[in-house]
Amino acid sequence: MTTAEPRLALATRGLTKTYGDGESLVRAVDAVDLEVARGETVAVMGPSGCGKSTLLHLVGGLDRPSSGEIDLAGRRIDRLGERALARLRRTDVGFVFQAFHLMDELTVVENVELPALLAGHSPRRARARAMALLDRVGVEHKAGSLPTALSGGQRQRVAVARALSNEPVLVLADEPTGNLDSAATLDVLRLFEELHESGQTLVIVTHDERIAATADRLITMRDGAFVDETRLTGGTSGRLGALAGFES
Amino acid sequence: MGRLLLVARLAARDLRRRPAEAALLLLAIAAATTTLTLGLVMHGVAGDPYQRTREATSGPDIVASVALNPFTGAAADPAPLEDLAGADGVTAGSGPFPVAGSEIEVGGQTADVQLIGRSVEPADVDQPAVTDGDWLRDGAVVVEAAFAGALGIEAGDTVTLDGETVEVAGVAVTAAMTPYPWSNCLVLCAPFRDDDGEGEGAAGGGPARPEPQVESLTDPGLVWVMEDELTAFASSPDALSYVTYLQLDDPDSAQAFADARQPQGPGDEDKPFLEPWQHIVEQVTHVERNAQRVLLTGGWLLGILAVASVAVLVGGRMADQTRRVGLLKAVGGTPALVAAVLLAEYVVVALVASAAGLVGGRLAAPAITDRAAGLLGGAAAPSLTAGAVLTVTAVALGVAVLATFVPAIRAARTSTVAALNESARPPRRVGWLVALSSRLPVVLLIALRVAGRRPRRALLGVASVTVTVSGLVAALAAHAELDAQLAANPDPRMERLGDVLVVITVTLVALAAVNTVVSTWATVLDVRHASAVTRALGATPAQLSAGLSLAQVVPAFAGAVLGSIGGPLLYDAVDQEDVVMPPGWWLVAVVAGVVVAVSVLTLVPARLAARRPVAPILQAETA
Amino acid sequence: MQQEVVLALLAKEPSHGYQLRARLRQALGPVGEAMNAGQVYVVLTRLEKAGLVTTERPERPNPAKTAKDPADRKTYVLTPQGQQRVAEWLTEVSWPKPDLAEFHLKLVAAAAAGLADPLGIVDTQRRELLRRLREAQRAAMAEPDGSDAALLLEGIVLRLQADLRWLEACERSWTTRRSTS
Ligand SMILES: Nc1ncnc2c1ncn2[C@@H]1O[C@H](COP(=O)(O)OP(=O)(O)OP(=O)(O)O)[C@@H](O)[C@H]1O
Ligand SMILES: [Mg+2]
Repeated sequence: MTTAEPRLALATRGLTKTYGDGESLVRAVDAVDLEVARGETVAVMGPSGCGKSTLLHLVGGLDRPSSGEIDLAGRRIDRLGERALARLRRTDVGFVFQAFHLMDELTVVENVELPALLAGHSPRRARARAMALLDRVGVEHKAGSLPTALSGGQRQRVAVARALSNEPVLVLADEPTGNLDSAATLDVLRLFEELHESGQTLVIVTHDERIAATADRLITMRDGAFVDETRLTGGTSGRLGALAGFES
Repeated sequence: MGRLLLVARLAARDLRRRPAEAALLLLAIAAATTTLTLGLVMHGVAGDPYQRTREATSGPDIVASVALNPFTGAAADPAPLEDLAGADGVTAGSGPFPVAGSEIEVGGQTADVQLIGRSVEPADVDQPAVTDGDWLRDGAVVVEAAFAGALGIEAGDTVTLDGETVEVAGVAVTAAMTPYPWSNCLVLCAPFRDDDGEGEGAAGGGPARPEPQVESLTDPGLVWVMEDELTAFASSPDALSYVTYLQLDDPDSAQAFADARQPQGPGDEDKPFLEPWQHIVEQVTHVERNAQRVLLTGGWLLGILAVASVAVLVGGRMADQTRRVGLLKAVGGTPALVAAVLLAEYVVVALVASAAGLVGGRLAAPAITDRAAGLLGGAAAPSLTAGAVLTVTAVALGVAVLATFVPAIRAARTSTVAALNESARPPRRVGWLVALSSRLPVVLLIALRVAGRRPRRALLGVASVTVTVSGLVAALAAHAELDAQLAANPDPRMERLGDVLVVITVTLVALAAVNTVVSTWATVLDVRHASAVTRALGATPAQLSAGLSLAQVVPAFAGAVLGSIGGPLLYDAVDQEDVVMPPGWWLVAVVAGVVVAVSVLTLVPARLAARRPVAPILQAETA
Repeated sequence: MQQEVVLALLAKEPSHGYQLRARLRQALGPVGEAMNAGQVYVVLTRLEKAGLVTTERPERPNPAKTAKDPADRKTYVLTPQGQQRVAEWLTEVSWPKPDLAEFHLKLVAAAAAGLADPLGIVDTQRRELLRRLREAQRAAMAEPDGSDAALLLEGIVLRLQADLRWLEACERSWTTRRSTS
């Protein structure tokens, strides 16, 4: 790590988002302190309505906090205007959603190149980069298809490719496997693992323990606040046989 | 009963759940029905006014008149007129009525008039139809409608005839004479109205005659007075003419009837002059025909625009409903119940909208009918006939039924699951447009892709602007020509035609404005999801709102260009005679004006849409 | 390791011990890594004693195999009793029984005696299961698609996931019990 590159990809202090007021005040995110190192994969779990999506929207600049600070790649973003936030989403953040949110009228490759075009890159460069990304996520053979012709797992791969389009500092995924079956989930997990190995910073909100278990760190949220943090890294215990009931 | 209540409750809940959309639908259908009402009223006014007047007034087939001999000064003798009434083929007649020249003075203006002496009792032939006030009574006169319009005379006014003050009992139209100022002369008129001889008096005698000895009238108006009061108002009570109105058993033979009995030359002056009704029709001049064409064309243009605006909105909503139908079915509604709920919803909206449209149309109609009546010399203009009410209501209900059954049938045919899963209406893909747009700046990229998702809506937008701009350009051209003619030759009817043009133009523009706003809202709602995704991917609100605006401006621009080509053609079709094409810079200004106007109109919806928070939309769309 | 597994592997054809071991390794993948070389032979010896398996010595010793364990030279064959046992085993309905009751009673007892916080126990257990899940999931991700071992690993992963969800339910339940008591 050089000094020019801050160690942390993301840091929040006292991050709070409230909806309504008085009786109906909801603290969707409540004084959250979060630090994510570059290259780290962090999973956020918690019951429905605990504020996971809201947290993700705040750190990704889709929404603005009620109070608190957000540092993204060493830059304060909690007081940015709409325009600056849009630029930030264009350059520093990539989103992956449960519902994929691909545009049905655009082909796969057109979907993937869209962020690059929005960022003002030349059409040729955007296309080349999109093809490279599709190759990376393994759906290059579907480049000319419409998203409706793809399986759920393939669509999510396309969405991941789109999120990577502008080489973001941070990829934010909200229930990326929520609409996928077990096999397609494994597919996406492998993809995230590859991203992780290539040094991509990832924050994944999920209900799926499998994703949570493969992250470097697992954060549990409840009622808008962090209640637990587990570091799962470390050597394997080599007890797979026992887990399968195949005792020697 | 319980079912009825359920249907009503479901329908009410649905309307309340989306108040903005319901209001928009209401506005669009109301605007359309208002316009349709106006269009129908205009058609009613414009549809062959002379024929209608002939029927309403028992119009004559032959107008026979005798006048004082201008060269000998011999008084006119009504006897030959009485003989005519007994001629072969004559089935009915009225008169002879005495006619005298006079001068009217009202509000500081003076004009020549012909006075026709009539009685209170209705005549069998040519009983003028009163459009305002009452028919003759003692001490009161009736003024011909076009003349009254030109001088601003209304029933109840007081005018001065040859120095005598008299009350105006009413205003009426007749088929026995061309409306002012093209009236034919029963008494002596100045032989030439203008240089080209167009206004040659009908009873003015042949050419190459010595100068007449008697004072003559110029462009006289027509006033009916009580027969026994005629001489009191006449400027030269000795120089009376007489007129008789005849109906023939075969109206088509009127020309032959006249030709056989027409005075043949000098010395024949005592014979009555016969004017067949076809001659009067021919005299319905350029201006009248144009006014009629303007009204008919305007009515059609408004009708087309009205249909276009409803098509945009209902089309969008119908697709939306397919999914909702699926939802209702999923919670156990039978297809019949589902259709009933939709129908109830639409019928309520359609009825309210058509009522609003009829009231709006009724309120706006006088702006056209009042002007058109005198202009066309037509009988009482129907402001809102039962037929029009029925048509408008039927159209509104037709829209409601169509809007119900298309999704209901579509949803009944598709399975509940498919209807639920179907994204409201899958957007179209126009490949070349997507490819083209990727080479353009971000705002244009967004605009073209938004427009390309709904090519049919974009085409309707083009069509709507084309119609409006065609109408606008044609109206502008007509105005320019009218102004030129007015400057050379002031004619009150030209001014009135100008007023009618303004009303039509204003209505066209207003409806086009509503169309634009409705279409923008429909687009904004339609691309909610795509907009949210685009913003999540880094488009700024300014880029998005400019893109959404531009998505309307681009088709509008195309429509404006087409319209400024179509406008002169339309004008050409309406007015075959003197076509003065508007100068080129006008067309450029119209196109630029349309672009600016559409930008302004779409600004608010587009800005609101682009500032809406993105996160909830992306959350809500999770299937 | 169950004797029936080895018996069933012999049902296809008579095999050498090392062939059986390779087949097991292939089906188990990383799960079978802990299995040591002698284990198969121990089982085979027991089966032979029980009369379910017999051995055949090759007529001509293979010179290539001389360096190997002497047991390797034997070919194992099912006896008729062995065949019957395999047939019975295939029709048996047996399923491993997870002992959830023990853990559940642990929580109840801990809470009743006030000896330990049930939530703490749940939390520790959860971490442990997460660690196991991580290991299984990573192994699954490393397997090529469609391998026998991948299927087994998916089973492990899904079971652990189910256990974790039950722990979540335990946590919810004990949290509300604590706050209402
Ligand atoms: N726009 C809003 N207005 C009011 N309350 C909101 C709004 N958005 C979210 N909330 C509330 O904030 C809380 C957190 O919502 P959030 O969507 O972040 O939960 P989540 O953890 O993502 O849930 P899930 O797992 O179901 O996706 C919820 O109680 C929700 O009702
Ligand atoms: Mg969420």
